[in-house]
Amino acid sequence: MFHNRNEGLALALPAAIFTGLLFLLPVGILLSEAFQVDDGWSLMGYVDFAKKPLNQKVFLRTLKLGALVAMTAAIIGYAAAFCITNLDSKARGRVFGLVVLPLMISPVARTYAWIVILGRTGIVNDAIMGLGLSDTPIRILFTETAVFLGLLQLFLPLMIISLVSAMENLPKDAIPAARVLGANWFQVFTKVILPLTKEGLVMGGTLVFTGSLTAYITPAILGGSKVLMLETLLYQRVNVANDFVSAGIIATILIGMSFSANLLLKRIATARK
Amino acid sequence: MKKTPHLSALAILAASVAMPAMAQETLTISVYALAQDAYKAALYDPFEKLCGCKLVIETGNSVERMAKIEANAADPVIDVAVISAHDALALARKDLIADLDISKISSYDALYPAAQDPIGGHKALGYTFYASSIVYRSDLVKIESWGDLLGNAVKGRVALPNITGTQGPLTLDMINRAAGRSGVDFTQTINDVATHADDIVTFYSRSSELVQLMNQEEVIAAPVGRFAWGSFAKSNLPFAWAEPKEGQAGGMNVILMTKGNGNEDLAYKFIDYWLSDEVQTRVAEAKIDSPANKNVVVSDELAASLTYGAELINSLQILAPADIIDNRDAWVEQWNNKVIK
Repeated sequence: MFHNRNEGLALALPAAIFTGLLFLLPVGILLSEAFQVDDGWSLMGYVDFAKKPLNQKVFLRTLKLGALVAMTAAIIGYAAAFCITNLDSKARGRVFGLVVLPLMISPVARTYAWIVILGRTGIVNDAIMGLGLSDTPIRILFTETAVFLGLLQLFLPLMIISLVSAMENLPKDAIPAARVLGANWFQVFTKVILPLTKEGLVMGGTLVFTGSLTAYITPAILGGSKVLMLETLLYQRVNVANDFVSAGIIATILIGMSFSANLLLKRIATARK
Repeated sequence: MKKTPHLSALAILAASVAMPAMAQETLTISVYALAQDAYKAALYDPFEKLCGCKLVIETGNSVERMAKIEANAADPVIDVAVISAHDALALARKDLIADLDISKISSYDALYPAAQDPIGGHKALGYTFYASSIVYRSDLVKIESWGDLLGNAVKGRVALPNITGTQGPLTLDMINRAAGRSGVDFTQTINDVATHADDIVTFYSRSSELVQLMNQEEVIAAPVGRFAWGSFAKSNLPFAWAEPKEGQAGGMNVILMTKGNGNEDLAYKFIDYWLSDEVQTRVAEAKIDSPANKNVVVSDELAASLTYGAELINSLQILAPADIIDNRDAWVEQWNNKVIK
């Protein structure tokens, strides 16, 4: 495409300089503080961080909720993607538009809507009491359930988009062929659909998991300080205690978790070959 | 040769543009972000007119603003700051704030005694007091003691302030007193809160968050600063301000000058103006902050929405700034280990 290699490099240079100077360098400096103790390099900050029971709880909760949201999004996402790809092109466009629509609405507005829905006088509690499942409203706000629902609603579209894209590339006759050869729907999914759409699952899973780990607004509003996650703990350390070292440690852990999740999902996808 | 007249004209033009800016003094102040439009009308604009100078206003939360003062200690970019008394003490212990020459503060004698030297060494002056008590739904519950916050009447429908905010330690202090304990060892009180943690809806960080939760009927009782009472008073729901038998908690915000800022004369003028009868009255009438100047006279109706009057101010249970600074890390540690699950 280019007459020589330098032309391509020249085109990439502005973006590389921009990213290097304004993103990688400041982030590198910030994260490096988390490895510095008394003018020397050390991992003691991480050891001290890991020893604190609150940090352990917050780390495990973040991991658990991220994994639960990603798994639930995958289950719902596969069902939705299968339906969408089997619609005629006109209906597919409309439904796909509805899936994308929430992404165009501010996460703050979407999260505040959950306060109304999940509150004591919200529609969920109205329904629970209307159906006679409880005499008094149950508390959903400021629990892990509320954070889970908020994150799932926030990131499910990303999973559906990834899976729809992957399923559109599925050969049209693959599923009918498997059915004709006697496979039940479970076998069709595990032996045909899953192996052929794993790239979409890896992409969607990474987006949803890392999104859930790094989301701030939703855990802050729906969980508050009773359901701290790593991102809300990071904010608390910076804004309340001016503790940039702990914040750097948390940021490094979050980046590590995001990369690990991506590598793990890729490895799982590769192992199924 | 022909260029000379043009250059001269340009130099004169540049000088004429630059001169007014050079002549006008500037004073940089660091303030809370709240009610800035009202402060502009009541304080900033009148002061600029009076001194012929320009005020540069920097806002942010306390931690950000304190970090900026500390980061620029060698060459201060902030001349005057307003902050809580205990945060001021933290700055004083780092030798970041100047000793005030009170002979330059003409309003000094008009201040309530508690506001005259709140952190010692004349390093700060109180400019406002705030009471803290419990706001509650009078149709659903009756609050008569700080101990009621952990009682069955509000079980599952009470919120407490987070320990990391200003209201958190005040609430612990008052629950501690209600349980018959004294001093600033809150270990048992934190244990009590931890025991009831599942009955507490949330530990809020901002009063605006609480206003929303109470208007949504999620919460029916919570401790809050009097400065937030206006948001509850205008609600359609029947909110009441408790007068617990242990009294109301209280706090004070102070005004201070950074050390070595090089702008001391103007800073003194500004501090004196803020504490004057005229400005303190205007600020109170705008319902921005309650006065620390005892000469301020307001109507009974206005007084009801402020922390106003010697009797109330003298009755406030104010935690000593040194006690907060010396114990805060331990309280947060205990809170994080026991209450946050």
